[in-house]
Amino acid sequence: MTSIGTGYDLANSIFSPDGRNFQVEYAVKAVENGGTSIGIRCKEGVVLAVEKVVASKLLKPGANKRIATVDRHIGVVYSGMVPDGRHFVDRARDEARSWRDTFKTPIPTADLASRMGGYMQAYTLYQSVRPFGITAIVGGFDSELEAPVDGEVGRGPSVGAGGKNPDKKHGGPFLYMIEPSGLYWGYYGAATGKGRQAAKAELEKLDLKGGADMSLLEAVKEAARIIHVAHDDSNDKEFELEMSWISGADGPTKGRHVEVPKEIREEAERLAKELLQDSSDEDNDKSSDKMEE
Amino acid sequence: MEFGTSGKLSEDGIHLDMDRLKKGEVNLGTSIMAITFKDGVILGADSRTTTGAYIANRVTDKLTRVHDTIWCCRSGSAADTQAVADIVQYQLGLFAMNSGKPPTTQTAASIFQEICYANKDKLSAGLIIAGWDERHGGQVYSIPLGGSLHKQPYAIGGSGSTYIYGFCDANWKEGMEEADAVNFVKEALKEAIKWDGSSGGVIRMVVLTAKGADRHLYLPDTDYKIRHT
Amino acid sequence: MDHRPQAWGRPRDDVYGAYDASYLHSNTPKTATQSPVVTGTSVVGLKFADGVVIAADNLASYGSLARFTDVKRLRVFLDSSVVGFGGDVSDMQYLDRHLNELAIDEAYDHLTPDSSASKTASLNAANLYKYLQKLMYARRNDFDPLWNQILVAGLDGAQKPFLGSVDLRGTSFTSPSLATGYGAMLAQPIMRRVAATEEDAARLTREQAVDVVKECMKVLFYRDARSLDRYSIAVVTKDGIELKEDEQLEKQSWAFAERIRGYGTQTV
Repeated sequence: MTSIGTGYDLANSIFSPDGRNFQVEYAVKAVENGGTSIGIRCKEGVVLAVEKVVASKLLKPGANKRIATVDRHIGVVYSGMVPDGRHFVDRARDEARSWRDTFKTPIPTADLASRMGGYMQAYTLYQSVRPFGITAIVGGFDSELEAPVDGEVGRGPSVGAGGKNPDKKHGGPFLYMIEPSGLYWGYYGAATGKGRQAAKAELEKLDLKGGADMSLLEAVKEAARIIHVAHDDSNDKEFELEMSWISGADGPTKGRHVEVPKEIREEAERLAKELLQDSSDEDNDKSSDKMEE
Repeated sequence: MEFGTSGKLSEDGIHLDMDRLKKGEVNLGTSIMAITFKDGVILGADSRTTTGAYIANRVTDKLTRVHDTIWCCRSGSAADTQAVADIVQYQLGLFAMNSGKPPTTQTAASIFQEICYANKDKLSAGLIIAGWDERHGGQVYSIPLGGSLHKQPYAIGGSGSTYIYGFCDANWKEGMEEADAVNFVKEALKEAIKWDGSSGGVIRMVVLTAKGADRHLYLPDTDYKIRHT
Repeated sequence: MDHRPQAWGRPRDDVYGAYDASYLHSNTPKTATQSPVVTGTSVVGLKFADGVVIAADNLASYGSLARFTDVKRLRVFLDSSVVGFGGDVSDMQYLDRHLNELAIDEAYDHLTPDSSASKTASLNAANLYKYLQKLMYARRNDFDPLWNQILVAGLDGAQKPFLGSVDLRGTSFTSPSLATGYGAMLAQPIMRRVAATEEDAARLTREQAVDVVKECMKVLFYRDARSLDRYSIAVVTKDGIELKEDEQLEKQSWAFAERIRGYGTQTV
């Protein structure tokens, strides 16, 4: 970074002469040190996973969750400064509630992502604040059913409402990633944090946009595997795998964002470790071949 | 701004719309209705506005657009319902711009309901919200005086509606063809106009479907037979 | 010209007389107290050995007009309690939305919804009853009451059947059987025949309790002019909630009308 020490990196709201906001770039650094988070979107839903670095052996295993729910149908996971992430989640919950108060329906995932993108961007504008030290992955399933207005009584005709377009599908799974600059995009697969490079490489190998879509259960297994692949055993501390998922109304979570059940998670993790073991065995074989040359 | 002591709910509950009015206020002592049918919804209303027994406007338009294919029927105080409709029209316009897609009837009904509920002690507004949207098709919501929200296959409101509960219940059919549905609304409003002194004038209708909004007008001097516009 | 700014843009007093500001200060005190408009009638509830039965008809009246005949007045909270509402329907909808938000907030503390630990930790019917009592009492102190009578049915912290009542003033009490509105006069005596005490209620089977509640709904339909023969009924037990929302009253007795002739001595 050529302009470090020139004073342009000391505050938000001041650009460097070459058009950069250094505070935002430093915030990205904070993210790059955090445990890997990923999100996978498939036809049946969304899976979120995080490599929760165990900071101390005195912490209770399985406690202090890193993935949070917003409303009922949206999940948030983030890499970087955990307190910033907590605040992000608080704000997201406030946004979801204010949406419900006005429109009496759950907030669509896209609208939440948009509002939170705007919120994070605002923290890049002012002298008095610093940008968020997190990149957040927001996954949700907007109901594909016709949901009633909150508190609704009564009903329409028993033959169903007239004039609908029956071919048009509504709702579905959504996945967004929001960066410290406030930039956000929709993704098929998203990764951030320490192991993002390896994780992204793995995600790109998956067929997430094609017609042959993977099942939600497969996505859970892939998520577990990718977190393990992205983890650097030699250098990194121990970690816990935390995973959550959201399916449609007819799927396993019935449209809600919940933790992946223990049995499924453990099975996915066992498979992940097995696969990892196999590939490292292969590597060892190859290297021993080389020795013989 | 003095509310009469007669503002309480009388035993028959019906003349409450009148009692809640402020002194000298213009009243939509009205017959309004909205129905679902095979392709969407139809809104209908008479055109009489009164101050006491005097007809302040004999060609009123009580069918108000709040978005392209979301409309409402207004009854109660003209000033209150216009103010509420204006607010909702603004909110829905904003919503459409922000989200890049048209609002649903539910969205409109929710905003209407919140205003009517939060200001229930100040408003006299009996509203029927009807709209068509791609996701939910045609929907009808009724918001009576207290600000509750009721989803219905069809809704009738205003002082004239009391005279047509029987007619509507007996003749209502689900999933009617457009021509039959228009006829149902017309016949119902004709009865309401016949028996209710506070209803009268022309019959206005708006048909909301995937094709958009289509206005109908029927005049009393031709016995509401011929469609104008 | 009158140069005082207060007079600018106003009709001249010397021509039109002084402005009549009397409408600005009304003699009556300012209150926010409302009266109900669209209303639901009775709710009845009865405890039995391992749960609670609760029922309410599907009518929302507008004065004496039976205006809305498909209004569900039993509302489920957190898949573990049922709240039955009598009184104003708009306030019922407000409370329903409020409880929905409460349930969402409650779930934030329990990412794993189906683990037994989180189930006991979340709000049960007894907690909900207390919460509603505080809410209703606070609103009545604002002179802006929520115009409802509420029954809360479910289980308490010890997984025992719970039934409580809260009204628009924040008055609250529990009992083996409870009813609001006309039900307090017409249904309570019937239910007390089988469940006068907690011990009696604890001996009732589910079937007995359901039968008694259905009998109550029938009597209420006979004698409450704001009632309907279509109703909702819910049974809450440890295993969850069984809610039926479109029941029809059965086995009514009307045929004896044939024997009734005249109003005294007449026989034909």
